[in-house]
Amino acid sequence: MNSLVRQFLITDADRETERSSELTNEDRPSDALWGSQAGFGHLVEGHAFNIPAVPDPSAFLRLHTDDHADPNCKIKIQHGTTTLAFRFQGGVIVAVDSRATAGSYIASGTVKKVIEINPYLLGTMAGGAADCQYWETYLGIQCRLHELRNRERISVAAASKYLSNLVYSYKGMGLSMGTMICGWDKTGPTIFYVDSDGSRLKGDLFSVGSGSTFAYGVLDQGYRWDMTDEEAQELGRRSIYAAGHRDAFSGNTCNLYHVKEDGWKFIGNYDITKLHYDGPGAVPGAPGGGYGYDVRTDSRFSTLSEPVAA
Amino acid sequence: MPDMSAIVNPQQRQFNPYAENGGTILAIAGADFTVIAGDTRQSEGYSIQTRYAPKVFRLTDRAVLAVNGFAADGNMFVKKVKQRLEWYRHAHAKDMPLRAIARLIQTMLYAQRFFPYYVYNILGGIEEDGTGAVYSFDPVGSYERETCRAAGAAQSLVQPFLDNQIYFKNQTAAQGSPHPAHLPLPDVLSIVIDSFTSATERHIEVGDGLEMYIVLARGRTLPDAVAGLRPQELPSAGGEKVFVLKRDLKKD
Amino acid sequence: MSIMEHNGGSVIAMAGKDCVAIASDLRLGAGAMTVAMNFEKIFPVSDRIYLGLTGLATDITTLRDRFRYLVNMFTIKESRTIEPSTFAHLVSSTLYSRRFGPYFTEPVIAGLERTPSGGLKPYIAGADLIGCLNFAEDFIVAGTASDKLFGVAEGLWEPNLGPEDLFETISQTLLNSVDRDAYSGWGAIVYVITPEKVITRTLKGRMD
Repeated sequence: MNSLVRQFLITDADRETERSSELTNEDRPSDALWGSQAGFGHLVEGHAFNIPAVPDPSAFLRLHTDDHADPNCKIKIQHGTTTLAFRFQGGVIVAVDSRATAGSYIASGTVKKVIEINPYLLGTMAGGAADCQYWETYLGIQCRLHELRNRERISVAAASKYLSNLVYSYKGMGLSMGTMICGWDKTGPTIFYVDSDGSRLKGDLFSVGSGSTFAYGVLDQGYRWDMTDEEAQELGRRSIYAAGHRDAFSGNTCNLYHVKEDGWKFIGNYDITKLHYDGPGAVPGAPGGGYGYDVRTDSRFSTLSEPVAA
Repeated sequence: MPDMSAIVNPQQRQFNPYAENGGTILAIAGADFTVIAGDTRQSEGYSIQTRYAPKVFRLTDRAVLAVNGFAADGNMFVKKVKQRLEWYRHAHAKDMPLRAIARLIQTMLYAQRFFPYYVYNILGGIEEDGTGAVYSFDPVGSYERETCRAAGAAQSLVQPFLDNQIYFKNQTAAQGSPHPAHLPLPDVLSIVIDSFTSATERHIEVGDGLEMYIVLARGRTLPDAVAGLRPQELPSAGGEKVFVLKRDLKKD
Repeated sequence: MSIMEHNGGSVIAMAGKDCVAIASDLRLGAGAMTVAMNFEKIFPVSDRIYLGLTGLATDITTLRDRFRYLVNMFTIKESRTIEPSTFAHLVSSTLYSRRFGPYFTEPVIAGLERTPSGGLKPYIAGADLIGCLNFAEDFIVAGTASDKLFGVAEGLWEPNLGPEDLFETISQTLLNSVDRDAYSGWGAIVYVITPEKVITRTLKGRMD
């Protein structure tokens, strides 16, 4: 009875309050926010992301964040990258640069673009930095839950499909990711390319980002299945150097990882300018000396043997 | 008579909930301290809305957050972070560690992925192991731990100067005496002040006042050179100490 | 993509005590791709005037040739070498003659000006792409890294630097600025102009 009366007693102000709390749906803190849900409480409780109250939310987001469409828009999401991964006899090599740019400004030269999902899985980062960081951390949680539920490690195929299905459910909403999920499972060394359009491709060799064409140039030329570990690591390093050198939006340093049967191993961090002038140093597989064209050909390029008459 | 031109020429209107309020923030980590600073001018376009709007906020005894971008979003975001830290205190009877605050900020920013807070955050403070730390964020939550970071209107003016003075970029160390990994507090403070006076000189959105928060690790005291500047000490539970040092910047 | 950013590149000039310095990076790009690392943007006008040009590479080359012609004509007609301040106005009027279809470059001029008493004093000037002159006492910046150059120069520059200190200041300013700019860098070149001689040095910069 009481509730029936209330139905007819609702004021405009009440209605307005109700409507606004529906729109922002963050006035009711869920229990998940209190306890430990690793900060992902709003997903666990079925709370969706907050969406602007406009007819076309993704057009709204694009208007305010997409710096390709409008270089003057306020919220700049960091772009520009070179990442690569390839499979060979000795496992998987993963190599990335470390530059983040916002327009022409180099926002950071120390970005970690390899995300360590767990001791057997690596994800690379290209596109939206936050999208990759957040969802690959979330993927790590789901992989661990898979292990606890099934008493066995998740396969690379399953992990990448989990991510792929997840980003596909947000298709058209403005996520931007181009990632390679790399690991070693029962089937051996494996790479899956996953992006925010919903593509998921299995392959031996991928490179993603604005510098990928430069990296592919070196990679395709030097790639063989039967490389030694040292040769493979050198190829990854040399390819990222090439991209860092020629692409304005890639560079600073190269992070190199090697995935083997017993999990991934961090090989090293290499300054790209140091690679240009001095090379990677006393590293196995490196020929010694700088990678730079002018360094290698110093005073050795062709000159006219006779001066041309003026 | 209705305005015929509005009928003949279709008009388009857009919902724009964002503004840009200028200003610059910056944080530098030392071995056992962190300095987090911001100017106090708030502007929109060529107008100054106020000469004193703080952009740097103390969260806990060992964490300070600087926010820059859209002031309304920034203030609301700080309010919500403080609320979550209060809940954490009630649930766990202790302050949240710095690295956990950093991850909390990531998830809070990312929860607004499709309706972002237009805010660049820099979190500074003391880690559980007693080291100074700086975490910088983009508006949707990607973050990284660093030694120094400038953000906001004059970031492109200040950051390369910091690269040179803090990281000693493009400087070759003398034989046998490598560059220090961390600078002492008095050096850091003078670099911060120089950065802001430079930015004030060349950027119209920076100026009026400068607020520098100094977070000191457990058991450390202010060096005499800094104590002489008479910074204000904020009340804390003991352990880490937080000081505020204010300076005037040019108002033109 | 802005036409002023298409090829990339930056120039800076600084005044010292009885000397001036001018420096540039060496990149020539095509958008994001770097195509050359030996593209000089600073040209001698006389033995104590240097001209730096940033912006669209084709206009840099065209204007370099055009100014060489104009300065040669001046020298022949007037039977004397051009002064920095005179050259600055030549630059200005040349750019303004294309007011409605401009050359896409921002020039920077550095030189030593003859005073009425016969001495030489530092002279630096800059202009926008349609020739609005800017006479600064301290430094002039131009190019894709101009905002970064402003910030660092404001922090490092001080009055009355000698040639060696001025060289160090301009080099550090340029190198650290272009390292935060995606479109500039890949090596640098510095000219320090003193009454006795011009010191030219190429710098080993970041190659990414």
